[in-house]
Amino acid sequence: MRSAVVDVRRLRVDLDDRPVLHSVDLKVVEGEVVTLLGANGSGKSTLVRATVGLVPAADGEVRLFDTPLKSFHDWWRVGYVPQRTTAAGGVPATVREVVAAGRLSRRALFRPAGKADRAAVDHAIELVGLTDHATRSVASLSGGQQQRVLIARAAASEPDLLVLDEPNAGVDHRSQEAFARALRTFVASGRTVLLVLHEMGPLAPLVDRGVVLDGGRIVHDGPLPTPPMTLTGPPDHHDDHREDYGAGLFG
Amino acid sequence: MSFLDYDFMHRALIAAVLTGLAAPAVGTYLVQRRLALMGDGLGHVALTGVAVGLLTGWAPVWTSVAVAVLGALAIDVVRAKGRASADVALAMLFYGGIAGGVLITGLAGSTAATLNTYLFGSITTVSQDDLWVVAILAAVVIALAVGLAPQLFAVCQDEEFARVSGLPVRLYSMLIAVMAAVTVTVAMRTVGLLLVSALMVVPVATAQQLTRSFRTTFALAMLLGVVPSLGGVVFSYYVDVAPGASIVVASLIGFVLAWPAGSLLRRRRARRSVNGEDPRVTGAHVPTEQHPHQHEPECGHPTVEHGDHTDYLHDGHLHAAHGRHYDEH
Repeated sequence: MRSAVVDVRRLRVDLDDRPVLHSVDLKVVEGEVVTLLGANGSGKSTLVRATVGLVPAADGEVRLFDTPLKSFHDWWRVGYVPQRTTAAGGVPATVREVVAAGRLSRRALFRPAGKADRAAVDHAIELVGLTDHATRSVASLSGGQQQRVLIARAAASEPDLLVLDEPNAGVDHRSQEAFARALRTFVASGRTVLLVLHEMGPLAPLVDRGVVLDGGRIVHDGPLPTPPMTLTGPPDHHDDHREDYGAGLFG
Repeated sequence: MSFLDYDFMHRALIAAVLTGLAAPAVGTYLVQRRLALMGDGLGHVALTGVAVGLLTGWAPVWTSVAVAVLGALAIDVVRAKGRASADVALAMLFYGGIAGGVLITGLAGSTAATLNTYLFGSITTVSQDDLWVVAILAAVVIALAVGLAPQLFAVCQDEEFARVSGLPVRLYSMLIAVMAAVTVTVAMRTVGLLLVSALMVVPVATAQQLTRSFRTTFALAMLLGVVPSLGGVVFSYYVDVAPGASIVVASLIGFVLAWPAGSLLRRRRARRSVNGEDPRVTGAHVPTEQHPHQHEPECGHPTVEHGDHTDYLHDGHLHAAHGRHYDEH
């Protein structure tokens, strides 16, 4: 049996004394790609944030790689992509500098980066297709490219688990495609992915299992229902597909 | 007679170099964290520390370090709590610092003129003892700012990501606040408590007109801190004005000069870098380089089903058979 990478049991999370998650159970095993879906405010983002320890559990337990979160120290095994609209800070930084920050979980204090560190950073940048932009300032990149910088940063520690919080929000089609490719390469080597998505987009074929949240509870956990397709798209679906249409014509 | 013939000028110039290096070094992190005004608030708080020194007869350098560090830790705690009322709490702390400083100075029987030497700097008052304290503190601040640069950069760039990397973010956050507090005291005799924040922020703002990496911004900001600091002190020798004023004005002139160069540079870069994406990620057809190996289901390379065909994972790339060669997928 494959071992559990993420194991959440009866998790309750309160934000500002208001319960946001009620007794949530979630298990992700090695090599799985699991996506959390749900409306705004359903608690999907809070669930991943609690999984990586950014919000405290009011009750229940979170285990990563079979270790309770409190005593988990191998943070290089987790690559986290927070929900951001920009990768830039108040001071200019190059793509390479931002991605290199993802390598710190593997580096000792007061030591310069070694050969392996530099190679891992180069490889992470290559993975998201930004090698030619490595020395550019992140602030000068498009929103989709900045999102890819954040994904490369998460990949730089060569993690076993990628946790992504809405990596596709507001990202152009080309970057979504690039992201899907990067993720396919990552998954192909047997590693695990937990991601929050607003819409599946080009990622749909990669996902093994969907967990749908509503009002802080899990209402569906299993293979994603594939809606019957008609010539005009799924019958019960009224998303804006203009972009997809354009991509079909020109892509 | 040249200004170099005076011992007090030697001390003032050494203090100016140390201040000019330390203030922008810490300032770069503050600006990156979008806390550019923190130095200003700490300057206000340190004033109470100076006044405590005047009242008790202890060296104001030490009392102001102590009070500024306490203030920095308080600010950091308030910030970490992240409540909506945090900025009001900070405002009260800052104005309390100034008012407390003036009040205690009055109780100590010192004049406004004494206070002024701390608020805007004074080249003639850097004593030998002061200089030692300033030198040691500045050296520690600069060493930490450079030595911990990768960690501090990560914390200031994205605090949440740094936490998930396992970095002790609270500790680094407090360290930055304490470094800023110490720098305020280091700078007290040259630029003064009210203007120290300018020396933390303006060189960084000037540097980033011209740079695109953190590393060069950091180094250039330190250079742009030293030059006006030295210039300002020398200017104050010839013209009797507080060195704080001349240092900050010199620093601002630097910014005004760099600005047109910066906008020109940005326009040129923008024009150059319209395209040039890796075609592999945009879906274009990219044959792999020479690849003598024949992939097949039993070849041992992990396989991935990709639509209507199978990709083979090879050295971090996905290879898909295409006629007689492989494509990068």
